[in-house]
Amino acid sequence: MSNMKFIREFYLRLWWLFSRSRFRSELADEIEFHVESRAEELEQGGVARLEALARARREFGSKLKAAEDSSGPWQMRWLENLFSDLRYAARAFRRSPGFAVTAIFCLALGIGANAVIFNITTNFLFSQPSCRDASSLIAIWEGGNSALPVTDYKFLLDSHIFDGVAGLNVEREVNWRDGDRTSRFYAGLVTDDFFTALGIPFRMGRGIAPGEKNTAVLSYNAWHSKFAADPAILGRALMLEGRLYIVTGVLPANHRSIFGFGVSPDVYIPVTHDDDYVQLYARMPKGMTLPMATARVQSLFAQLDRIHPYEAWKRNSGTRVTHVTGFDLLNQMMPSVVTAFFAMLMIVAGLVLLIACANVGSLLLARASTRSHELAIRLSLGASRGRIVRHLLAESLLLAVIGSMAGLLIDAVCVNLIGKLDLPVPVPVHLVISPDWRLWWYSLALALTSALLCGLLPALKSLRKDVSDTMKQGERQTPRAWNIRSLLVAAQLAVSIILLATALLFVHNLLRVTSMDPGFDIHHTSWAYMRLVPDRYAGTNQTNQMALVHEALEQLRALPGVESAAITRRVPLNDNCVTGAPVTTDLSPTAIHVQYECNNVGPEYFHTIGIPILLGREFAATDRKGSQQVAIVNESFAHALFEKSNPVGHVITIKLQEQTSMLIVGVAKDSKYFTLGEKQRLAVYQPYFAFNEPVNLHFLIRTAGSPTSLTKEVAAVLGRLDPTAAIETKPMNQALALALLPSRIGAVMLGAMGILGLALAAIGLYGLLLYSVSRRTREIGLRVALGATPPAVLRLICRHSLALVGLGTLVGLALAAFAMQPLALFLVPGLSTFDPSAFLSVVGVLAVVALLATLAPGFRALRVDPITALRYE
Amino acid sequence: MPEESPQLLPGTLYMLILRTLAAAPLHGYAIARRIKQCSADVLDVEEGSLYPALNRMLVKGWLRAEWGISDTNRRARFYRLTNEGRKQLAAETSEFNKLVSAIQLVLKTA
Repeated sequence: MSNMKFIREFYLRLWWLFSRSRFRSELADEIEFHVESRAEELEQGGVARLEALARARREFGSKLKAAEDSSGPWQMRWLENLFSDLRYAARAFRRSPGFAVTAIFCLALGIGANAVIFNITTNFLFSQPSCRDASSLIAIWEGGNSALPVTDYKFLLDSHIFDGVAGLNVEREVNWRDGDRTSRFYAGLVTDDFFTALGIPFRMGRGIAPGEKNTAVLSYNAWHSKFAADPAILGRALMLEGRLYIVTGVLPANHRSIFGFGVSPDVYIPVTHDDDYVQLYARMPKGMTLPMATARVQSLFAQLDRIHPYEAWKRNSGTRVTHVTGFDLLNQMMPSVVTAFFAMLMIVAGLVLLIACANVGSLLLARASTRSHELAIRLSLGASRGRIVRHLLAESLLLAVIGSMAGLLIDAVCVNLIGKLDLPVPVPVHLVISPDWRLWWYSLALALTSALLCGLLPALKSLRKDVSDTMKQGERQTPRAWNIRSLLVAAQLAVSIILLATALLFVHNLLRVTSMDPGFDIHHTSWAYMRLVPDRYAGTNQTNQMALVHEALEQLRALPGVESAAITRRVPLNDNCVTGAPVTTDLSPTAIHVQYECNNVGPEYFHTIGIPILLGREFAATDRKGSQQVAIVNESFAHALFEKSNPVGHVITIKLQEQTSMLIVGVAKDSKYFTLGEKQRLAVYQPYFAFNEPVNLHFLIRTAGSPTSLTKEVAAVLGRLDPTAAIETKPMNQALALALLPSRIGAVMLGAMGILGLALAAIGLYGLLLYSVSRRTREIGLRVALGATPPAVLRLICRHSLALVGLGTLVGLALAAFAMQPLALFLVPGLSTFDPSAFLSVVGVLAVVALLATLAPGFRALRVDPITALRYE
Repeated sequence: MPEESPQLLPGTLYMLILRTLAAAPLHGYAIARRIKQCSADVLDVEEGSLYPALNRMLVKGWLRAEWGISDTNRRARFYRLTNEGRKQLAAETSEFNKLVSAIQLVLKTA
């Protein structure tokens, strides 16, 4: 525990540091008391008062030395030196506020950009769940799957391996009937003592207690937006899925679900059926490690496989146990492209900070050369070189610390805005992003790194100077044309070229994606999502559901302005289903293994959504359960299986668990199914009414005019058919929001970084040119006096600027061409990362910005008055 | 560094102060007097080393200082042993006893 001792000692010393003056006066009092006490003792022994005092003083010796020696043990030289350096730096900054503000502004932008990216990344990818002692919690992946049946949960619970087991299913929806309105909630199904097993804190109330079947817990968002933050919500009855639930608790605003990734259902209700599926979490007892937990779980599942085996798969094959946050979980849950995207963002933000640091370093270099006189005096007065370096580093440290505080402020503002965004995703995502200890440490590290990056170069340069030379020359030396600062600025420009090119690439990508034809009509169709309460249509009532669908379609078609209406199992670009299976045709016995998109669609689907039928026909009302099995395939499927011949009238046989033969009745034009940028996929459509469909009804309605005008009527028609159904309608072009989301995020994020990088580099260029003009005032004055015309003077400045921009651009372009290649991962296929026209426009943008940054210094140079400039000689 | 009193074995000043304070809190002057009395006037703690030693012990967290009123009715700074100080005293005493008996053993037998 020597560590503890060290920390306590540090705190004691720190306390001393801040109460030094009181300490000194108290020590003096104490010594005075000592001397007086001794004198009194001598007096009692018969010595005269004055004599006694004098003797006591003599015996004590030097009071000053005793006081000095007594404060010695408390001192922390390095800390006091640091404080005095920082004080000195602060004074220096107050004398040149323009410099300080510019430097802090640059660092704040650089560090702010990094903090925002880091904050989003950690809170999204490495969300710390709101649970007691999350480090002892594990997620169990039975057979590698995310969800397992509730019966297996009970088996695990009864095994008592763990200190608590909790199951959660976040993929449920429930209908909430509020008066005569019905709306849809994202629900989380939870097992018996989910909330207590995980130790989830509440804003008010409590969790769902074991055995309770009709209680519910609300998320803060649902409580706030749907119940107007009603303080008397506890005990209120909610009609969910046609059943009454009593609200027992409300989660806090900053609740992060154990599922992670910002997923947070609106309402939690207990699991009621044994055939429900849940993702399992468990709390390891003290002393249990992850490998131990894995071994126990695997042996348990092996046992379960023997008692209650599944036919299709073994629980124990691929079973894994992971922590509830961290890389392990990330790899299990997130497509690697998402992780890679965030990693790329971090790198890009790092580049922005690099530019900012170069700016500040360049400013400090400029300062160091104007202050070389001051430094030389300090050196000649006996300051050690180490002391000077420490002092210069303290300056950059102060800048970096203030800069990162401002950066954190920027982060707080941005993150607050981002938290309010409503993402168009079909999952309940509410990102709770707030600054946390990870961010503090990260920004501290950033501040120290940037302090070193900015400060080291000027500090070391200050050491190389010869003192006597500097003293003689004073501040009036002419800088060399290509000094370190020029190289720094050229490097900045090079990096900003990379950032700009990346930004442009992602903007280009967004434009490309937006202009992509989804293969169906988004301008004259709208989408109505009608979710029924499952219990009302379960079992034999399934026929009621079919009747409802028919009735709905009939009424929708009868609406004025409606051209056609259809039902579909899945809405393209919002939901998809990929199947891989061996397929044979009646033309050839050899099976071809294909991957294809599947969808079940009703009559008029193709007409309504605007996908042309190239051969054959659409599904008709007669294609239903019991009649001959038919299918419509897309062009690519037809081509893959039948090559050039007409597939209509032929039979395909797909071998999944069982063998299905279908007569092809039509060929539809290719379209997009999951993403706009996808490579062309194969697709097979089957008749909607041939299957028992789930309670999620997706109606598509084709209108003659604008689809927005009819959304209300559509909702009203559907609502009258079943008031307990939740209905949401939107025009199809809004339904594309999900498909466009990744490209939009990419364009916004990288566009922002590109602009930031460019702005910082422009500040750097401007600062350097302005500075060099001010340093070359005498030279320019002399030239003007010798007959240089204004254009000649401007040429002088522009030549310098052009050289910097030219070098930066060349290096930047060369680097960009290589460094950007891996970005193809994030782009639509066919969009090349090496795009000469994009590079050309980047160079153009940079040239314009560089010109603007050159103009002011150029005019400053023109205004140089030869008389004043030369008077200094 | 201030010189230790020549009568004192090096490193024993802390132990003596700790021992003196084990019974009750005392002020600096009383500590010096107490050590002198208890050692039958053999050990004389120099003022020049007493206060630096006390402060070093404060830094280490063995002692705690607070202002109080002395017997002579004056404001004085009293030093009190902390738990940490008590542990230190026990450790140093046993160490010292071991050392002394070892030295005596050598002196007797060698």
